[in-house]
Amino acid sequence: MELDWELRELQTLEGHKDRVWSVAWNPATGVAGIPPMFASCSGDKTVRVWEQTPSSSSWDCKVGFLTSATAFMMFRFLRGEMWLSLHALWCVDDGNCCVHLRAVLDETHTRTVRSCAWSPSGKLLATASFDATTGIWENVGDDFECVSTLEGHENEVKSVSWNASGSLLATCGRDKSVWIWEVLPGKEFECASVLQGHTQDVKMVMWHPTMDILFSCSYDNSVKVWAEDGDDDWHCVQTLNEANNGHSSTVWALSFNGSGDKMVTCSDDLTMKIWGTDLKKMMSEDGYAPWKGLIVTGAADDAIRLFVESKDGSVDEPSYKMILRKEKAHDMDVNSVQWGPGETRLLASASDDGTIKIWELQPVA
Amino acid sequence: MDPRPDPADAVADLFDSSLNLEDAHFKEGYAEGYDYGLEAGREEARQVGLKVGFETGEELGFYRGCVDVWSSAIRVDPERFSSRVQKSVKTMELLLERYPVLDPENESVQEIMGDLRLKFKAICASLGVKLEYKGYPKSADDKNMEF
Repeated sequence: MELDWELRELQTLEGHKDRVWSVAWNPATGVAGIPPMFASCSGDKTVRVWEQTPSSSSWDCKVGFLTSATAFMMFRFLRGEMWLSLHALWCVDDGNCCVHLRAVLDETHTRTVRSCAWSPSGKLLATASFDATTGIWENVGDDFECVSTLEGHENEVKSVSWNASGSLLATCGRDKSVWIWEVLPGKEFECASVLQGHTQDVKMVMWHPTMDILFSCSYDNSVKVWAEDGDDDWHCVQTLNEANNGHSSTVWALSFNGSGDKMVTCSDDLTMKIWGTDLKKMMSEDGYAPWKGLIVTGAADDAIRLFVESKDGSVDEPSYKMILRKEKAHDMDVNSVQWGPGETRLLASASDDGTIKIWELQPVA
Repeated sequence: MDPRPDPADAVADLFDSSLNLEDAHFKEGYAEGYDYGLEAGREEARQVGLKVGFETGEELGFYRGCVDVWSSAIRVDPERFSSRVQKSVKTMELLLERYPVLDPENESVQEIMGDLRLKFKAICASLGVKLEYKGYPKSADDKNMEF
């Protein structure tokens, strides 16, 4: 049975003073009663950590609404951050969403923070910056502290990714290289390998969800697959480029399905490609979750789109169709969209307009 | 037999030399160009060889110096260096030894130099030192791309 889906806008988060590049949900939240938490990174050189206020009923938000009336009057007497955090307590509608600002990670990076990623345990946050460093942050009490800085890239770091077990970290950047770091006890990091192969700026790296295989995509139109051949001996085992049905322009991002047997890439050539492997599914799927297997995209035309595998059976190969287009999801380019953790069905989107929006995926009756 | 030359032969001879003129000049020009090219090429090759040789030698020497210092430090206090760093330094030393200094047309020169540069970067990052060999060009353009 095919369900129809829609995206309901729950909340708009302001606060960043420049474009928001990326959002990352903390994978250890959104389950077992822990409220969902995510980080956003921006051209304003900071990272903000947001958390959904645990509210079982909607009166919490209404209180927020009442407070807002008085707060509005007091606005002239408040400055900067306080105004913003009050603002963030307001809900766009009376849904029980209420995401609030938890922390601002600043005074560390000296240029745009382009990407951020939580470790699988949710304890560490890695931030990739144009200042050529990668910051590692830890939640200490109410605040986040930068516990380590990874240096080595010659210039802008574009992306950072943790492997499934949290034992390895990968970074990539404009210097065309991909770096693999080993996570040692005591939040120490050691460079395991520097990989050259791409001929242009590497836009994103991402580890396979279950195996220690690294994928990178680049301005050189290709996707590269990197694997280890014994002790620290990493090399490129496959290149997906125009010659083997790959993209004809910059590949901006890639993403895997839950079981890791399918990968989707999106490109400046205005197409998305679905790639498959012959490997058997590594994870068993407990229960049927119909919204898994949906692909969501954010684009430079300010829209968010949803795609689903189409089972109309008229073609032998799998095909995907667009089931939803949210035009003007933001006022400017949508840079990043991320599904929430666990069973939350939340979606966060980040835009050049400096805001983050929280959406909820809902089946249409 | 008539000892006088055949008038046809005379005509042929007359044209022969003018046809040969083109051929002769071609050959002369070719020879001149060849000699000039040989001389100029040899000179250019000498310049290129000196330049590339200097650059290569300087870079290899730089890495040799780093490896020697690191190896000494490891000998003095091995506990302070992780097994990975120790292994990388040894690998770098092997690469330096393998580099065919006297055989510039060996195909592996690019590969070995590339490996040396990557190993050097990895070791510097692991040791937390900001060393930089200022000789070779950076891998990225200087234009500031901001995406």
